[in-house]
Amino acid sequence: MRNHLLRNYLLCGVALLALTLVPLFCNNFIIRFATDILMFAIMASAWNLIGGYTGYASFGNVVFFGIGAYVTAVLMEKAGLNFFIAFLSAGMGAALFAILIGLPVLRLRGHYFAIATLGVAEAMKALVQNLEITEGNSGIYLPMMDLAVRKQYYFFFYMMLGTLVLTLIVTYILLNAKLGYSLIAIREDEDAANSVGINTTYAKTMAFALSGLFTGFCGSIYAYQQAFIKPGPAFTVHTTVKMIVMAVFGGMGKLFGPLLGAFSIEIISEFLSNYFLLAHTLFFGVVVILAIVFTPKGIIDMIIQKRFGLAYFLENIREHRV
Amino acid sequence: MLLQIIVNGILKGGLYALMAIGMALIWGVMDIINIAHGSFIMLGAFTTYWCFSLLGIDPFLSLIASMLVLFLLGYLVQKYLINFVIRASAFITLILAFGIEIFINNLALVAWTADVRKVKVSYGAANFSFGSYLTIPTVRLLAFLLVIIISIVLFVILNRTNLGRSIRATSQDLEAARLVGVDVARTYAVTFGIGVAAAGAAGTLWSILFPISPMMGGILTLKSFVVVIIGGLGSMMGPLIGGLTLGVTEALGTNWFGSTYENLISFTILVLVLIIRPRGILGGTD
Repeated sequence: MRNHLLRNYLLCGVALLALTLVPLFCNNFIIRFATDILMFAIMASAWNLIGGYTGYASFGNVVFFGIGAYVTAVLMEKAGLNFFIAFLSAGMGAALFAILIGLPVLRLRGHYFAIATLGVAEAMKALVQNLEITEGNSGIYLPMMDLAVRKQYYFFFYMMLGTLVLTLIVTYILLNAKLGYSLIAIREDEDAANSVGINTTYAKTMAFALSGLFTGFCGSIYAYQQAFIKPGPAFTVHTTVKMIVMAVFGGMGKLFGPLLGAFSIEIISEFLSNYFLLAHTLFFGVVVILAIVFTPKGIIDMIIQKRFGLAYFLENIREHRV
Repeated sequence: MLLQIIVNGILKGGLYALMAIGMALIWGVMDIINIAHGSFIMLGAFTTYWCFSLLGIDPFLSLIASMLVLFLLGYLVQKYLINFVIRASAFITLILAFGIEIFINNLALVAWTADVRKVKVSYGAANFSFGSYLTIPTVRLLAFLLVIIISIVLFVILNRTNLGRSIRATSQDLEAARLVGVDVARTYAVTFGIGVAAAGAAGTLWSILFPISPMMGGILTLKSFVVVIIGGLGSMMGPLIGGLTLGVTEALGTNWFGSTYENLISFTILVLVLIIRPRGILGGTD
């Protein structure tokens, strides 16, 4: 067991080192692409905290992304603050919003929670479209970064990588602490968890807040990288869908599942958009459908069980068909 | 003035109700939140558009065509796709529906481009007016009447026929229904087909009243949700009440705050209703 753990740590260390070296050997295009993958890996992992571990399928996680982006834009552009202050405030702001909205919304279960979070995200988008401080639909320009282009690519890559590592470490620590066990107990049977004295409200809200924190960080980095944000793209439901699809495709409720999902989905969609310029989103839909039908437990389950092939797929179908 | 706004709201609300009936049926019977619902509405709208512009069929007549086409489509989607994962967590079916939505929308986008189209009927401008107080466009009134008729037909199917009995039995207890000889897989497929056919009908009526485009579905799915949530699951009256509530509230809200606030109003209502009465206005508490 100890050896096993040691081997895993070692593997993670090697993977991290390899990732750190990526920008030094690659062109700008690949760095940018890798930065996108890292961004979705963070968001899928953050979603995993509330959706995968706690079992509350949030369909509105993009709201934290949008809030992070807008807090950064407003603080930097209107208040003239430094990016790092804006970055921290963006995460905190999103987490605070998660707590405020979580207290009433986390009382709902199942589909009702999913729809409520979707509604919150859409309402927030509509609000930002109408507010003066966010400049409505015309969007906000952020101050440009005062660095050479290549250095900018480095900066955003390492910001994302750092945030991803932070997300994974916090998730890992949390899972081995009391809170992690509470979350899994809530996912398995919330009423039972309640009756044995777990403070479910606290645990759920905590998970939602952390999910918001990391997604907010992401939004902040994204806004600075784009240097321009608009309500439509910042709050689009498609970002939520991507987070969820990545987490499910990789494996919900597993530490590295969403990471794996983000890598594979981004690479698949990049590949498709190269070959099918016009229809790549259509094929992306097919990928989602096939993935859900054949591997509802995610590819990490395949890897853990070391089972690849038709038999595994058919077994999944047999288990869930009517 | 106020009367006119409320009547407009009621007429649009009827259409919202029809959109929501299909979604509520699928949700109630199979516990599937059909995210692709709006895409099916879009397909119904385009069926009508092509019947009208290629074949010259009156849009009100093509209602039958679009319901048949979408019933078949829904039946096949459920039978050969959703039935494969129906016993996995409800969440899995939700994402599957998302995949279907992405697929349909983008297929439509490739086939028909993102152009906004309009079905222009010769009687489009006709209306009834009651002095200067109230003007009701004929097409809107006709559409509203059709909504009522379709709802009644669905009600009769669900409550008075053998098919309806199997659907209700399956929704109450899958295993027990199977034991008494209900073909569950087929019942599911038929139910999904009926729900999608209702979406198709809503699409047809929508195409007569408003411009259509391949990407119109997203917001309609969300509005159908809002209506189902306001009305609550479990009764045929729910979607009707939810639809009229949403229609009138939107009409009043956009009149007071401006049309850019329409979506903010809908979604704020959604979240508030969920928090205060999670089972809908009609539904009981937990």
